[in-house]
Amino acid sequence: MSADQLNWLLNLFLSMQLSIAVLVIVSIGLAVVFGMMGIINLAHGEFLMLGAYTTLVGVRAGLYLWLAMLLAAATVGVFGLIVERLLIRHLYGRLADSMLATWGLSLIMAQGMVLIFGPSTQGIATPTGNIQIGNYSVAYYSLVLVGTAVALLAIVFWVFTRTRYGVMARAATQVPEMAAAVGINPDLVNAGTFAFGSALAGAAGALLAPLVGVMPTMGQAYIARAFMTVIVGGPGVLSGTAAASVLLGGVENIVSYLSTPFFGQGALLVLAIVLLRVLPTGLSGRWQRQL
Amino acid sequence: MTRESESAETAVQRAGGRLSGELVWTVGLTVTVVAAAGFIPEFRALQFTSWAIYGLLALSLALVWGHGGIFSFGQGAFFGIGGYAYGISAINLSGMTGETFSAVIVAVIIAMLAAAVLGYFMFYGKVGDVYVGIITLATSLVLFTFMSSTAGHKYRVGEALLGGYNGMAGVPPLSYGIPGTELTALSPGQLLAFTVILACIVTLAVRALLRGPFGRVLAGVRENELRTQLLGYDIRLRKLIVFAIGGAIAGLAGAQHAAWALFINPIVFGLQQAAVVVIWVLVGGRKSLPGAFLGVVLVEGLASFLGAGGGSATPIILGAVLIAVVILLPQGLVPALHAVAQRWIPWLRERPAEIPFDESANIPDVLTETGGRRRTGVLEGVDLYKSFGGVMAVENVTLAFRDTGVHCLIGPNGAGKSTFFNLLVGRYRPTSGKVLFGGAPITGLEPHERVRRGLGIKLQVASIFPGLTTFENLWLAAYARLRVTAAATERAAQILDWLELRARAGDAASTLSHGQKQWLEIGMVLGGEPTVMLLDEPTAGMTREETARTAALITKLGKSISVVAVEHDMEFVRQVDVPVTVFHQGSVFARGSLEELRRDERILDIYLGRHRKAIA
Amino acid sequence: MRVNRAIGALGGLALSFSIIFPAAPAEPIIVGSVLDETGGLNIYGKAMADATNLAIKQINGQGGVLGRQLKLISYDAQSDNAKYTLYANQLALQDKAVVIMGGITSASREAMRPIMDRNKTLYFYNEQYEGGVCDKTVFATGIVPSQQVAPTVAWAIKNIGKKFYVLAADYNYGHISADWVDEYVKQGGGSVIGTDFIPLDVAEFGSIINKLQDAKPDVVFSLLVGGNHIAFYRQFAASDLGSKMKIVTATFGLGNEQVVVAPNEAKDIVAVYPYFQEVDNAVNREFVSMWHKEYGNDYAYITDSAVTVWNGWHLWAKAVQKAGSTDRDKVIKVLESGLSFDGPSGTVTIDGPSHHVIQNTHFGRTNDKHGFTIISSQKAVPPAYEQKVCDLIKNPNQHTQFTPGGKQ
Repeated sequence: MSADQLNWLLNLFLSMQLSIAVLVIVSIGLAVVFGMMGIINLAHGEFLMLGAYTTLVGVRAGLYLWLAMLLAAATVGVFGLIVERLLIRHLYGRLADSMLATWGLSLIMAQGMVLIFGPSTQGIATPTGNIQIGNYSVAYYSLVLVGTAVALLAIVFWVFTRTRYGVMARAATQVPEMAAAVGINPDLVNAGTFAFGSALAGAAGALLAPLVGVMPTMGQAYIARAFMTVIVGGPGVLSGTAAASVLLGGVENIVSYLSTPFFGQGALLVLAIVLLRVLPTGLSGRWQRQL
Repeated sequence: MTRESESAETAVQRAGGRLSGELVWTVGLTVTVVAAAGFIPEFRALQFTSWAIYGLLALSLALVWGHGGIFSFGQGAFFGIGGYAYGISAINLSGMTGETFSAVIVAVIIAMLAAAVLGYFMFYGKVGDVYVGIITLATSLVLFTFMSSTAGHKYRVGEALLGGYNGMAGVPPLSYGIPGTELTALSPGQLLAFTVILACIVTLAVRALLRGPFGRVLAGVRENELRTQLLGYDIRLRKLIVFAIGGAIAGLAGAQHAAWALFINPIVFGLQQAAVVVIWVLVGGRKSLPGAFLGVVLVEGLASFLGAGGGSATPIILGAVLIAVVILLPQGLVPALHAVAQRWIPWLRERPAEIPFDESANIPDVLTETGGRRRTGVLEGVDLYKSFGGVMAVENVTLAFRDTGVHCLIGPNGAGKSTFFNLLVGRYRPTSGKVLFGGAPITGLEPHERVRRGLGIKLQVASIFPGLTTFENLWLAAYARLRVTAAATERAAQILDWLELRARAGDAASTLSHGQKQWLEIGMVLGGEPTVMLLDEPTAGMTREETARTAALITKLGKSISVVAVEHDMEFVRQVDVPVTVFHQGSVFARGSLEELRRDERILDIYLGRHRKAIA
Repeated sequence: MRVNRAIGALGGLALSFSIIFPAAPAEPIIVGSVLDETGGLNIYGKAMADATNLAIKQINGQGGVLGRQLKLISYDAQSDNAKYTLYANQLALQDKAVVIMGGITSASREAMRPIMDRNKTLYFYNEQYEGGVCDKTVFATGIVPSQQVAPTVAWAIKNIGKKFYVLAADYNYGHISADWVDEYVKQGGGSVIGTDFIPLDVAEFGSIINKLQDAKPDVVFSLLVGGNHIAFYRQFAASDLGSKMKIVTATFGLGNEQVVVAPNEAKDIVAVYPYFQEVDNAVNREFVSMWHKEYGNDYAYITDSAVTVWNGWHLWAKAVQKAGSTDRDKVIKVLESGLSFDGPSGTVTIDGPSHHVIQNTHFGRTNDKHGFTIISSQKAVPPAYEQKVCDLIKNPNQHTQFTPGGKQ
């Protein structure tokens, strides 16, 4: 294999990693909320958008980009906590109702943002720099995204296995009666989980902000895709999301590259349908380890 | 769903189902609109027509989701398919036929076929719940992506250009005429009258369908899928049928919409359209047929009003209304209105259900009746082994049960009796060995297939249809076997008598006492006319009196069929006084009458946990 | 019917909004507009609605038309295409508007067009589009590919190179415009070495960046549309492709891309439109100051779409004035006579037979102030394709859209 071919392969591989990383980033927050609480948050895209705007405001106020991103995650986390207390807590166990209410919330959030910032698209400069692989150049920020996606997965793993809250949350999901019996307050755990999922959505928006246009309706581009990834992933919040992202993102990227993005997008959707037909409870449905 | 909301919903649904006023309303409103159609200003006529069309789309989801329990997030897909099919066939055929109504029929058929294919793919693959939602949504989005990129001249069907994202232009309106002449389009008033009449007919047809045997089985599927399956119904087929009907109705709405807008484009396949259908149905009330139309009128009426002056507040008001509906009217508007109406208008209040059988008729005993046609068959397990990850739960068990009489399986926790039971039922596959019924192997059959061969299965936790009446529960069981409405009614009445539950016939099964629920389930199993009845801990959690009653029932059963009961409760075993098999550590430890076993010291050791050399 | 009465009451409420308009001696002329002011398409719709309101205000300020004030009834289609059908019907049948302007996407125009044809209402579509609409009741004042793509390609071949790669949004506009690029590049002696159509909701361009790196074109012709596609310019810049190839475009700037993308990311992108805010003439200076007076000095950027809407209203008002009537056929006759108007982008003249406009085009190169520097311009560019295929004076009964390569 010549050096050119090797570079070509390496470059293709990196671009696949980026597609996968974007899927992981946009869907992990939704996966936490859906997997742990059984709530489908159709306003997930708008949570993302809120994170992007917070980052924008932070950067314009002179904050260092990474700091603005952390601020965004924290802000959206707090916002999520408020939303949980006011709205979501009325919806536990009501899957369809949760979709209706969060759809309403998404309309309000998008338009609220229009009223504050105006409808037009805004943006943050992408951190510059790139590395050369033969004739190809790969943006440095793409590599950062891939790294961050892995880091986010690690954080989720750590939170759910190594913290007191995480263990309680998993217990409350798996054996609710028992969890209540041993004194875990489900209210507290749910509020915590929703806030955590929201913070992850905020982080996703923050990470995407330098890559795409920031506008009040930006969330819509991601919601269907994130939704699809989470459901195809199945009950395993971490393993399912990661596996589904790898499969769907990888296939979309490679098909897009070999043919056109139209077929790439079609391949993603068809793969999702076929996977669910073959594995009716999602990729992680039959795995022993439910995280 | 919380306990209270479930029972509230149940009560409302049952009241709604019996309300003959609903019929009067539907027809009355239709007649009013049709009579007024000529006088309504053109624009309003067109607007009301669009609402009636969307109402049909919402109705299709209310049927599929509210009544079929299938959460379809992709009704928009069939709506769009119907629209495109209408456009294509109307553009190509109207020149020849001189009208476009035939194109509507073509559209309905194509949408129904599409739904049937997708339904087959999902339901025969055992895809369930939210996953169905995703597959339907993904299908819709695939269509969106595909149709969006059909710009250009190569994408044409006959004379009809698909038109890509911009949509298909030149779709003819609903028209009549003589072949070969110019089309005469319906005027807005005529269109409104036609659409409303059609919507009324579809609504009444769906209503009739839901009140018939199909609707009752559907209610069973929604209430308790496992129980429906254990009664011997093929639930996959029923889901497929209701999904296809839903697809046909959505296709009808789509065809009418394309004819109304003179245009169809891929946006109907998008996420927004998918979500808005769900919103209409949730606002109106998920199970309510009139609610589907009311939901459309409210949501679309509000949106169109806001679009004329709501300014930038429009999405905020819409969003707030949606949230308010979820929080304040979780059942949707129609059930909520109905509950209010019931408080103020006495004749709307819930009355006990009418039971469709003659009180005075002489009802023969159910067992003598079925006894005449009874099939015979011995159920036996041969050399059965079952291991779970290396642990042997059942080890070398060979056991046959006589074709009449009761047989009890006892043993301490973990002795393997429940695993053995599940091998007979078919919930587990044995690691090795065979299950024979009437001499034929049934080892590889699904539970519902065993049921059809004459096995009756009652699981430990009472598995009934809590939202249906006691009578309806039994009717479903009898209908599974008889498939004739009147005969099933008669049989259900017999069983009701036999269980001495006639006084509770019209009450929701969820209101029965614990013991009554267990008896009801035994009665339901009996409705399938089994040769062998398998009961898992029938007296668990019962009071002393209830246990005695159950023992009496089972003894009576044992006179005509074979009954196998797994039991913990020695009091029950003593009362039925039948042969007993003792399980211990996965194997048959001893057999005999209870009296004989009582004299066996080793049995006491097992139960009391005493260890002696003899066991080791 | 209770519902009916409720709607009637609501209608009354809506009517009372109109009282805010100053009372005119004669009965006001009712005109209508439908745009997406909320929802996903408001990136374009808001500016177009602003232009509509300003145009009506200015016309009324100058005494209205035929001595009567204009009364604008505008509807917000909420980015829901089905609402265009509804509101077009409402304006034509209920409000009796004498002219209706609006529609942003071609899909929304196609939703409204059959309604206008059926109700015989004069309709202006004021937005850049893929061209070819040939309909007696419709006037399209936006720029079309034959006006925009041809000069862009010619400029790129002369100034950059001959190897083109086309990236286009995957819908009708993108497909048809890409066909035009193909044709003009061939005419100019260049070659198109790759074409990709990107669905509108794709925001991840990794695979495209790779293809560009493989193909190594001189010129990337961008026909990307919407907020998601903005990501392309960033990912392009982040991979430092700008040093290897240059972007020319017919769409960059419509959604304020130059404001969103940092100047160093959007370096050296050349766009062609009739209007840039930087166009230097007396009319535009007055227009920009009027706009800023109305909507504030911090208004991001006045887009070509906004000016197209502005032109549409003024062309119609001028035609009515000249016709002495709001009657549809009389107004169409005047418009077809080759009416012209001096707008912010220069003189705009209706091309009678095709119902499109002859107008100036300007070449703008992105600068470091989130705007464009005008580098050249062409005067009175005709809609060549539309002129070729469409003659509504000869064939007044046409209601169609021509697309290149078709038999229609």
